[in-house]
Amino acid sequence: MTKVKLNGEEVNIEMTKDEFEKVKELLDRDPTITELGGFDVMWSEHCSYKSSRPKLKLFEDAEANYDYVLAGPGEDAGVIDIGDGYALAFRIESHNHPSAIEPYHGAATGIGGIIRDVLCMGVRPIALLDPLRFGRLAGNSHSQWLFKYVVKGIADYGNCTGIPTIGGEVEFDDSFENNCIVNVACIGLGTIEDFKHAPSRAYNPGDYIILMGGSTGKDGIHGVTFASRTLTEMSEADRPAVQIGDPFTKKMIIEATLEAVKTGFVRGLKDLGGGGLTCATSELTGDGNTGANIDLRKVFTAEPGMTSYEIMLSESQERMAFIVKPEGLEVVLNVFRKYEMAFAVIGKTDDSKVLKVFDGEELVVSLPAKALSESPMFKRAEKRPEYLERLLAQKTPEPTIGFKDIIEKLIASENICSKEWVYRQYDHEVGVRSVVKCGDGDSGVLRIIGTDKFIAASVGVNSKHCYLDPYEGAKGGLVEICGNVIANGAKPMAMVNCCNFGNPEIPESFWYFSKAVEGMNDFCRTLRIPIVGGNVSFYNEDEVTKTAIKATPQIMIVGIINGFENIITLPFKESGNDILIVGETEAELGGSEYHSVIHGLEGGIPPKIDEEKIQARWNLLFELYQEKLIKANHDVNKGGFIISITEMCFKNKIGADMDLTGYNIKKLRDDELLFSETVGRFIIETSSKDYDRILGLAEKFNVTVKKIGSLTSKPEINIKGLKQDVKLNINKMKELYDSTIPNLMEI
Amino acid sequence: MTIKIAVIQFPGANCDLDAVHVLNDVIGVETSLVWHNHFKEANFDGVVLPGGFSFGDYLRAGIIAAHSPALDEARIMLKDGRPIIGICNGFQILVEAEFLPGALLQNEALRFVCKWVNIKVINNRTAFTHKMNKDDVLAIPIAHGEGRYYTDNLKELEENDQIVFKYSTEDGSFTSEANPNGSLENIAGICNIEQTCLGLMPHPERASESILSPKQTIHGRIFFESMIEFIKRRLT
Repeated sequence: MTKVKLNGEEVNIEMTKDEFEKVKELLDRDPTITELGGFDVMWSEHCSYKSSRPKLKLFEDAEANYDYVLAGPGEDAGVIDIGDGYALAFRIESHNHPSAIEPYHGAATGIGGIIRDVLCMGVRPIALLDPLRFGRLAGNSHSQWLFKYVVKGIADYGNCTGIPTIGGEVEFDDSFENNCIVNVACIGLGTIEDFKHAPSRAYNPGDYIILMGGSTGKDGIHGVTFASRTLTEMSEADRPAVQIGDPFTKKMIIEATLEAVKTGFVRGLKDLGGGGLTCATSELTGDGNTGANIDLRKVFTAEPGMTSYEIMLSESQERMAFIVKPEGLEVVLNVFRKYEMAFAVIGKTDDSKVLKVFDGEELVVSLPAKALSESPMFKRAEKRPEYLERLLAQKTPEPTIGFKDIIEKLIASENICSKEWVYRQYDHEVGVRSVVKCGDGDSGVLRIIGTDKFIAASVGVNSKHCYLDPYEGAKGGLVEICGNVIANGAKPMAMVNCCNFGNPEIPESFWYFSKAVEGMNDFCRTLRIPIVGGNVSFYNEDEVTKTAIKATPQIMIVGIINGFENIITLPFKESGNDILIVGETEAELGGSEYHSVIHGLEGGIPPKIDEEKIQARWNLLFELYQEKLIKANHDVNKGGFIISITEMCFKNKIGADMDLTGYNIKKLRDDELLFSETVGRFIIETSSKDYDRILGLAEKFNVTVKKIGSLTSKPEINIKGLKQDVKLNINKMKELYDSTIPNLMEI
Repeated sequence: MTIKIAVIQFPGANCDLDAVHVLNDVIGVETSLVWHNHFKEANFDGVVLPGGFSFGDYLRAGIIAAHSPALDEARIMLKDGRPIIGICNGFQILVEAEFLPGALLQNEALRFVCKWVNIKVINNRTAFTHKMNKDDVLAIPIAHGEGRYYTDNLKELEENDQIVFKYSTEDGSFTSEANPNGSLENIAGICNIEQTCLGLMPHPERASESILSPKQTIHGRIFFESMIEFIKRRLT
């Protein structure tokens, strides 16, 4: 908080003194109260990315480098051309801080916001995915409370709007106890024409500006607080910081917006999120190189007597701004009338390049349209934390219990066990597109009705790996999430990310962000995956203990599958078939579930990524798909390959006879072999008659593929080739896998 | 003779387009999406009240939609025996509008539940089930938070043959494990005495294409095929 003098009165602002001086210099005068409020919000970290932008420049040129990218970073959502005249839009965003205070509404309005972002690309939102982080559940009622209500908030909002939640991931770790992570992602589908009708800018003078949807209230106003008399009346209690969502109105907004876009009279579209009307009008005119005249008294408010400051900065949910061609005004308004949506024509665009806002007769804002988006940037210091050396040097103790007990503990552990308790609460089938449903694959697969084309989407990252090495960890996240869509048969098409980190003003915290961005950038450039959008959430740091969350650069990948017959699923299909592992296992137990669950350790050497090997494995898999040689596929991640194999046995109650004698190529310890979380490995089911053909192709692609077992009809896994033989009962494993979360959450 | 079906679009409906897709593209019957205030019964031979959250389920699921003019129109259809099906929220609306008896309460577990279940055909003489066999077990998904069927007049329902479906195991037993929401007597769907109006919580429109079914079944289609057949017979 900074105290400054504004027109003779003392005012508290969030921005620094230097930034305030820059505002005055930009305007060549003192700003009005409303203008200052606008700058304060628009130049906040949340809106301006002032700490992250210098680093995020690395991502900038997706549109230039990939011919199928229609909209890249900086737009409300990334958009790609997926052929057949269709455009796919998607974005991921954080809603961490509101959810930590009020999990139900925080999560719900997160969903609301991400739906609007995708909707304002002119396409229909068709899927949601939500990666989450909480403190450990066992013995922690606060974490249970957050988890329960975040899930309920997502479910109630998503279910009501009729958008299926098709995927997500959850990790539980002490570092998230006071700073939970709630990231929300949305995918939208429309025609390329739909997308072209809805640019997020007002590029034509003389168009109408219409506000549609919910009324503007005092919720969500933050930023500037004033010591002056006029504003002390706005007490903190009157201004809840967390907005309240209304999924019913959102559903109406979706239908009314899509119908309005179809009229062809909409020339621009923008949702009202952070920064409210200030952000929407300044970005529409600023990006469109126009100006506008706006009358705030036209805005319909939730209560009388709201000041211009409040109206401009309100973050009330469920509002959209439309730029409409003059000749189509009535047609568009009639669409809003049909849906009984409130609306107001609040102004008109012009060619002045100045945003002028009137409160009746009084001019309260008069700014160059681009000024609000020209925030200063900060070059933040970064420093590798000293504690890492100690953590990386941690050695794995010899296990004191048998492998059977270890595997049972792992399968029942919070981070590995079934998340069915979560996805049963999400309507994951509405829309009749869900072909591979929650629990049946590494990613969610949606059909595009009327075509033989399918969208696969997955989201996640391993926070424990990123904590030990954010550069390799972010790359590892990409390997895993791309691996998820590949395991279902999809080619990864594009990536969006959501960077959740600590306080950027602390060099150690900023280092994590910086390295993770470099990791994502390097990997995506090498593997030719366009980064089409992102979001940054800083300050996920505990005020009391001064510790940050484990770095969590969430990665979302969308992929495309051509042809229903090319969709691959996770469960093992038929006894007698071979179990093959694709890729070597390295001694990489750092940040593994084995370390944390069995030994209580967080350190060790985390997985390292070799892009060339990863690319070769992916190429091999697509060749094997092409020749129809793969019956089931599951990527290997938390807990190691033995966990992957166990999960694949569950659905069809199939067993496995395994012999690892020939696979321990690197002469690892038995626990390293079983539980290492080396990324980029896959377990595939194949027919034994195809074995020679597959090995031949593996050699051609220079990929290690080993047969490690065969499927049996008896529901048990027998492992030979280790110092001790291991026998696991599938039914018991399934019970352990299924019961952990219900046991913790249903008291 | 062209058969025309209406899917009513209440504000907040969200399975409306799914029903239109299945009727038009899968079943191949001329089907229109009709905004609730615009619906005129005279133009249609049958009507679908789709799933979703009409009017946000504010107040109580289905109750506001039950007062829409669309239900006055539908009441005329009910009287002259044209088929009406309410799916999920549509079922809740039919109950609130007193087309069907009883009530739909919050699920026993107090949570929304989305999963594939099995239902057993109890009454195969309705407009929507006459192409099924009695005791057939159908695979079909549910997705609801308020689907626990309750009535004070169970005996009456049984005597009038109004219980159409019950949740069951795959082999047809009515266990409590097979009951996903705590419905009385495992009831999943009921009809009016005349057997022309069906309400059920499961979603036949989500079970009409093998690509969407875990076991590639298409049991949902039989609902709509029965409906079309029923209309044809009615018209000739």
